[in-house]
Amino acid sequence: MMNVSNMRSVMSNEGVLFSFSGMISQSLVSFMVETGREQFEYKIEDSKIIHKMFIVAIEQLQNIMSYSRDKDITDANKYVSPGLFLIGYDSFKEKYYINSSNEICDDDKEIVSKKIDFINSLERTELKKYLRDKLRSAEDKHQRGAGVGFIEMAKRSSEKLEYNFETVDGKLYFHILTYI
Amino acid sequence: MENLFIEATKYTPKIDLNADSGILNIAGKSYPENTFEFYKSTLTWIEEYFENVSGKKTVVNLDLEYLNSSSLKAYFDIFDILETSHEDGKEIEINWIYDEDNDIAQETGEDFIEDFEELKINLVEKE
Repeated sequence: MMNVSNMRSVMSNEGVLFSFSGMISQSLVSFMVETGREQFEYKIEDSKIIHKMFIVAIEQLQNIMSYSRDKDITDANKYVSPGLFLIGYDSFKEKYYINSSNEICDDDKEIVSKKIDFINSLERTELKKYLRDKLRSAEDKHQRGAGVGFIEMAKRSSEKLEYNFETVDGKLYFHILTYI
Repeated sequence: MENLFIEATKYTPKIDLNADSGILNIAGKSYPENTFEFYKSTLTWIEEYFENVSGKKTVVNLDLEYLNSSSLKAYFDIFDILETSHEDGKEIEINWIYDEDNDIAQETGEDFIEDFEELKINLVEKE
């Protein structure tokens, strides 16, 4: 019983309001964000915050699905991927946050860091222009996405995107934190 | 030309493209995982429609509550086809419809207006 007890205390300290760890698929993404929205609508009066949370949650969850190292490809273009996903409230900052973690391939580390660092260097108006340029050129487009998910997250975030990498038991994990 | 109808799901919109009336309706949420696959038939249909249509005004009603980032790209591509068709002399009116409390949907519509200046795009707020 110690494990759940420890987890409960960590989650309580971190202000976690919703958590999921396990295999993430499209139907689960839909279930989590739609149910989450219904529940948060009772808590949060400002619908703008709800909309932002919904968008950021979808981008983070679908990133896990597409880029998690251990994904299962069940159908032509349907992925089921392991990941950890949290929604919480930071009582110090007085902001909601969306936080996730998944294992990634070593090669992706540099690509992801470069992408997010560049996005973080942009001002809000520049972000909009950068997104437009990427949509027009489609240079980062691939089979499953337009390669603009981090830009969308940054647009909906009140702060810069926070991220880091951590190696545990020889596995490389990517963590991303977005404050709404 | 046959019409295209796709029923809505929890994460894909209802697509109702009518070649006879010239009214193209898309309404709902859009955050599938395989976005480009999902919109392939829609993009092909719209391209073929504008190759054939003449002497008729086309009305495009887009009522999209949520778009994930890949859907944003799909709609950017749809607007691209609409712009090319407009340049070819086709008469097109676009209504970007959003809920009054959905500022992200409103902002997305405003961004499309900025990106596609040649097109007639109306912002329509639902009550």
